[in-house]
Amino acid sequence: MSHVERNRNVWTEFAPEFAEWAPGAWADEFEWGVWHVPESELGALPDVAGMDTIELGCGTAYISSWLARRGARPVGVDITPAQLETARRMQAEFGLEFPLLEASAEDVPLRDESFDLAISEYGASIWADPYRWIPEAARLLRPGGHLVFLVNGTIMILCSPDEELPAGRELLRPYFGMDRFVWDDTGGVEFHLGYGDWIRLLRENGFQVENLIEIQAPPEGEPHRYPGLPDREWSRRWPSEEIWVARKRA
Amino acid sequence: MWQVPESELRVLGGMAGKDILELGCGAAQWSILLAGLGACPIGLDNSARQLEHAREALAVAGLDFPLVHAPAEAVPLPDASFDIVFADHGANRFADPYAWVPEAARLLRRGGLLAFSGSTPFEVMCWNEPAERMEAELHLDYFGMHRIEDADGPVQFELPYGEWIRLFRASGFEIEELREIKPPPGAVSTYRTVEETEWARKWPMEQIWIVRREA
Repeated sequence: MSHVERNRNVWTEFAPEFAEWAPGAWADEFEWGVWHVPESELGALPDVAGMDTIELGCGTAYISSWLARRGARPVGVDITPAQLETARRMQAEFGLEFPLLEASAEDVPLRDESFDLAISEYGASIWADPYRWIPEAARLLRPGGHLVFLVNGTIMILCSPDEELPAGRELLRPYFGMDRFVWDDTGGVEFHLGYGDWIRLLRENGFQVENLIEIQAPPEGEPHRYPGLPDREWSRRWPSEEIWVARKRA
Repeated sequence: MWQVPESELRVLGGMAGKDILELGCGAAQWSILLAGLGACPIGLDNSARQLEHAREALAVAGLDFPLVHAPAEAVPLPDASFDIVFADHGANRFADPYAWVPEAARLLRRGGLLAFSGSTPFEVMCWNEPAERMEAELHLDYFGMHRIEDADGPVQFELPYGEWIRLFRASGFEIEELREIKPPPGAVSTYRTVEETEWARKWPMEQIWIVRREA
């Protein structure tokens, strides 16, 4: 089974849970990751008003809904029909329509140079093969276009056990050779690269690396709901999430 | 640290006629080598003793190029006077990056290259200070990494990856590459124990940043 099929199966299983959370997520302000850090604090995005945006691995498309409310013209793509169904239901509920497409971020049936921003939060950014989806994002973006994607923290991945348990302080796997990860609990296939590999891949595909925002959990707040991710105390000391910001050369 | 040859890494590129500044040149082995390749190097070091060794080495090699006694944070040389600024476990480890990186940008011509090898955040985080050894365990925090003071050694500097990237961008550099060095099979280091070399086969202990001054 290809990683796309495996991940579609995994996400079909996750879908009911994410359908429950979708109304809350759609109603939120623009926040990043499991610690809900507001975009106003991180400044990962350009002014998106008037931009054509594509969300790669949009799931229930809450990111695209936030972009739409900021004046962007979003398109969401995802491989999992059950997730897109939730996204369509949210569109009706919130009166916010934009195109949703069943497609893999590694092979998007849309024209070259038709977007100003490609974005992914725990979407294609970790579930698709970066050596396929980054070139595809480069193809879809206009010159000068922005690429912004959130991934799990690199150090966190190295400290995460195979079972669905949070990272501790021990480095359980090597950094050299980081690429494809299959976790015991779900059988889903994730992709995580080292820093140097990300930079090389982005450069080779015509991107200028602009920023790497390593998210530190805020000192206080509600705990997150993911048993496989480290708690606030760990995430105050080491990054549990990272946002790469790059720009296609003009 | 494992003496990976430049011919393999090809970080610096063609040398002939290039104005090159070495930050923290020590006894100037690197600059002497580069002069032999037709470059016009200047060696900078903040240690008068190191520069004495460098002067002796220059005499032995029958070479004559300037050696400057100054910190990398404040280099007494004019703007835009170099094609390459580099350091090999040099001033980049012992000078504050928030001061020396903008200084390197000032010294470089447009399109000029900055390359430097040094420590890594992984090495900093995984150093067990009381036991004085590298471990497969996070000891030090990642957030806030900047000035590292060991009990006996000199003050050293290392930054989180994102901090380096923001500093380069803010100083007018484009990021070309981050080369993370894995010791080649059979490599022996005079600086590192066998255990440390084994550690370094799994996690990066040495890295080279390669960035270019915007044209």
